[in-house]
Amino acid sequence: MTTQDAMNTFVKDTGGWVASQLEACTRCGICADACHFYTATGNPEYAPVWKVELLRRAYEQQFTFSGKIKLALGIDKKITDADLNHWSDLNYQACTVCNKCSIACPMGIDLGSLLAGVRSGLAAGGFVPEDLAKAVQLQLDEGSPLGMTDEVWEDRLEWVEDDWEVDIPIDVEGADTLVIFSSIEVMKFPTNIAAIAQILNAAGENWTVSSTAREVVNFGFYEGSEEHTKQFLKTLLDGAKELGVKRIVVTECGHAYDALRWHAAHMLPEANNFEITHITGVLGELVGAGRLNLKPGFYDELDAGTITFHDACKIQRKGGHIKEPREILNLLAPESFKEMTPNQEQAICCGGGGGVIAIKDADPIRFKSFELKIDQVNKVGAKTVAMSCSNCRLQYVDGVGHFDLDWKVTGLSQMVADALIEEE
Amino acid sequence: MMQNPTFIRGPFFQAALLIFVAGMLYRLVRVLMLGWSKDNIPPMGSKATGVTQSYLKGLLIWPFIPWVKNTFSKNPVIYLAGGLFHLSLFTIVFFGAPHMLVFKSLLGFGWATIPLPIVDWMATAGIVAMIALLIHRLTNPVLKLISGLPEWLNWLFVFLPMITGYLMTHHLFLPYEKIFGLHVLSVSVLLIWIPFSRISHFMFYFFSRTIHGQEFGKRGVKP
Repeated sequence: MTTQDAMNTFVKDTGGWVASQLEACTRCGICADACHFYTATGNPEYAPVWKVELLRRAYEQQFTFSGKIKLALGIDKKITDADLNHWSDLNYQACTVCNKCSIACPMGIDLGSLLAGVRSGLAAGGFVPEDLAKAVQLQLDEGSPLGMTDEVWEDRLEWVEDDWEVDIPIDVEGADTLVIFSSIEVMKFPTNIAAIAQILNAAGENWTVSSTAREVVNFGFYEGSEEHTKQFLKTLLDGAKELGVKRIVVTECGHAYDALRWHAAHMLPEANNFEITHITGVLGELVGAGRLNLKPGFYDELDAGTITFHDACKIQRKGGHIKEPREILNLLAPESFKEMTPNQEQAICCGGGGGVIAIKDADPIRFKSFELKIDQVNKVGAKTVAMSCSNCRLQYVDGVGHFDLDWKVTGLSQMVADALIEEE
Repeated sequence: MMQNPTFIRGPFFQAALLIFVAGMLYRLVRVLMLGWSKDNIPPMGSKATGVTQSYLKGLLIWPFIPWVKNTFSKNPVIYLAGGLFHLSLFTIVFFGAPHMLVFKSLLGFGWATIPLPIVDWMATAGIVAMIALLIHRLTNPVLKLISGLPEWLNWLFVFLPMITGYLMTHHLFLPYEKIFGLHVLSVSVLLIWIPFSRISHFMFYFFSRTIHGQEFGKRGVKP
């Protein structure tokens, strides 16, 4: 694990797709205003253009004429261990790879992908923060970074079935849909498991969970290691293949959806044998087709104050499921649902994604950036914040505790399940 | 060299033009040769729609209407200055009558130009915008961090042709022959500098804008 490994990975990743975008940067600095970590702290090093600096230098030193001249003249220096350590802090602690910067960039550079490229180099060189590296190791050893071993998984699911009186089909061969939960839901938000099970049962879906493909969280994707990402994805695809399902549904987890839906087939072409979608898409489909017996205006009648929706970067901006939550909330809470500003593809990130929440050293800036969300939610006067990502939800729950707020934080599936009309 | 305006207007300018074209071609080919992997991810939306929207927005809407993106409400003046500077540069370079004649001599055909008073107003706006952008670069903490010698030279090498051109049109300070020589000299220096600098973004813009449109379009998200 050396600087050379990091450099080799930077160079390997530099196809025309990456190179042309690095070349397009005019160094105008506008991306900084899009970054919640920069906006919240004012630290210029948090500007996305600066976080990508390492990748740009590696690329120019290796490939470009002007980069080589700069190196020869001493205007630029060789990349050192100290550089990699410094950029490791910037990239893992002060970036959630939320990709809002790409919307701000006047050149339209897909900064999120470049930032992921920086992580790949850092991971290859062994410059992953200790907390994140430990979580990856746990996932390699136990199949889950949150301690969700086989035994724990079985116990938790059994408990959910009993307590919420809901059936969860396990390892059903020939089911249409494989639902893969995240350990965040299993361990911290079990109501999500019950809610999704209730919804799918109510809609008469032929679905199952798998005892092998049971952890959708992918810490290899957070750290940027292709090897680990691929290994964790393969477990899921193998499990899906064994059961012979047609569709894989990722539950309320953002990065896992990003990895499976938008990256898996690049590494594992067999991913294209399945339709891969997010539970938000499934909810939109079921509600739109009238397959769920819901009570319109359910939340208006509860009279529990304004409800707002938090857009998750990996599910809405980078995932495409922007309309569905609106359609659902406008049905269930036509009066009390209000949008934050900005929203949808321009939404501000929660501040906890991209593995940031798993890194203790990042806590101060993570909470600092959450203050932007506090402002947004308070401006709209919401008492309930709904979202479709459990990682965001973890950050919100943590933020609500830290700042002693009186908001209710909930998941979209939960809101749908609660509004189901029980059939006799 | 300064004593010999015909040399500057003649061989020197032509050499600069050659370096510019060859340098840009080299950079284009080098990036193309790095290899492009195929995207085998099933899309959720249309890439073509995304690309179209990406260009419409990037070229026409937000450089001139900063509040389209909430991000820019913090600093609309700087964003407008950027848009205005580019508009000014394009208008003058391609639609100023003397410039069109240079293109005509090189390409063999010409086109309609814009009347001098408008071009002149554009030039003033462009120069003011460039000064605003320089002040911004000198004071903004992010720009201070990311600006090195190449960034300052970029500004200088673009500013010189603009200011000499302006002085020439208004017959200020120096005799016409001399300022004309300086103008062509500064343009030549700029042409030589572009392939070594990030002013080349006008070429790579078409890569990044297309990629942006594809990435957002395939996800069915507005770019």
